[in-house]
Amino acid sequence: MACFPSWSNGLQRLGMAAIAIALAPSAAIAHGAHIQARTTTAVEVQAAYDTGEPMAEASVQVFAPDDPQTPVFTGTTDASGRYVFAPTQPGDWEVSVRQAGHGDIAVIPVEADSVIASSFTNDAGLSPLQRVIVAGAVTWGCIGTALFFWRRGKQ
Amino acid sequence: MFSLKLLTRTAIAAALPTLLLACSPQTTTDEATAPQAEAPTEETTVAAGEDGELTIRANGEDFVRQGFVTKDGWEISFDHLYVSLTDVTAYQSDPPYDAEAGGKPTASETVSISEPMTVDLAEGDDAAEPILVKTVQAPAGRYNALSWKMMPAADGPAAGQTIWMEGTATKEGETIDFVMKLDPTLEFVCGDFVGDERKGILEPSDQTDLEATFHFDHLFGDGEAPPDDDINTGALGFDPLAAIAEGGTLDVDMAALESQLSPEQYQTLMGILPSLGHVGEGHCEETQLVDS
Repeated sequence: MACFPSWSNGLQRLGMAAIAIALAPSAAIAHGAHIQARTTTAVEVQAAYDTGEPMAEASVQVFAPDDPQTPVFTGTTDASGRYVFAPTQPGDWEVSVRQAGHGDIAVIPVEADSVIASSFTNDAGLSPLQRVIVAGAVTWGCIGTALFFWRRGKQ
Repeated sequence: MFSLKLLTRTAIAAALPTLLLACSPQTTTDEATAPQAEAPTEETTVAAGEDGELTIRANGEDFVRQGFVTKDGWEISFDHLYVSLTDVTAYQSDPPYDAEAGGKPTASETVSISEPMTVDLAEGDDAAEPILVKTVQAPAGRYNALSWKMMPAADGPAAGQTIWMEGTATKEGETIDFVMKLDPTLEFVCGDFVGDERKGILEPSDQTDLEATFHFDHLFGDGEAPPDDDINTGALGFDPLAAIAEGGTLDVDMAALESQLSPEQYQTLMGILPSLGHVGEGHCEETQLVDS
């Protein structure tokens, strides 16, 4: 899920890191790690079985509109079956969620500025026969970038 | 000169309005700037109008090729598992087909194999490839939906039957040689393949494949899954079939099953058959047309 653990502490560390980068001599940051923060918009996917049970720790692959073969993002859902990614371009983004022999692919139309198209109806009106993937847009704040690296580090 | 502590507080205060929005499930705003995420390593551009080769395969997965243990402890191995397919159709569906919503794909291109054919899902060794149904020339593009019907075969090794399961079940020293001959008429309409790899993306002058996948663990259950797992609570298992075997042999068709199983067991069986078809791990809209 797109929530930084203990985010108040993370926030303080983030502020400290930004200050440290700004004040340090240029020679000192050669080969150093850079963390930049900014605000962006992300898509939150939530996957569940037909029973309502979340697809927790399910495998997720996200495919960009221009490459349906190679996942741009990979990871796992959280305990609530949620996964967050930030689209980098408009178009149909495909999200595969799989667990224990069951899976689904949701096609999420993303417009400019990473907004989910109003035509997207996968988040409502689905029959409860098997499992559902619902998606909604969330504002992914400036801790989003830090979160991205944190998630990648877990893979 | 600012102290470090004061500078930190100032920076956090400036960012606070934005940070408060983080993680909240709000409707999106238009303040996005694309993050520097991992870029695709290669682009796939699909050009319509040129042909390639589309191969349709049928797959009973490891349950059929390697055998498995049912939810009630029977070790099953298949000698043959014939399925009779017809009207196999691949679609370039736009919009992408949603099996949950049902209906038919809205396709810009369709490729159909209309002739009926019977394939043996148990053919080959443990590591055999999914069974070839047919390879056809097809316009390039994204084949993101697949449908097929299953009807009793007119001839061949499973003549008169839609599904022919032949094998051995073993449990605690007891062995039952079984032949189950089922003749329902079924139809499956499915969306994109869901699995380890993407399928159905056909480049001009290239080849790709699609897969009709059959989940026989829905019928027998999975001894490796917890008893209260959905795959087991909804499965018939093999105990009811073992109970109607005679002298270590079970050779039954649908009529025999209807007369010898309890009404509840028979209804469970009939309810499971329309759920056998998948596309990899992806589910299909399932229809049992008639019990012929």
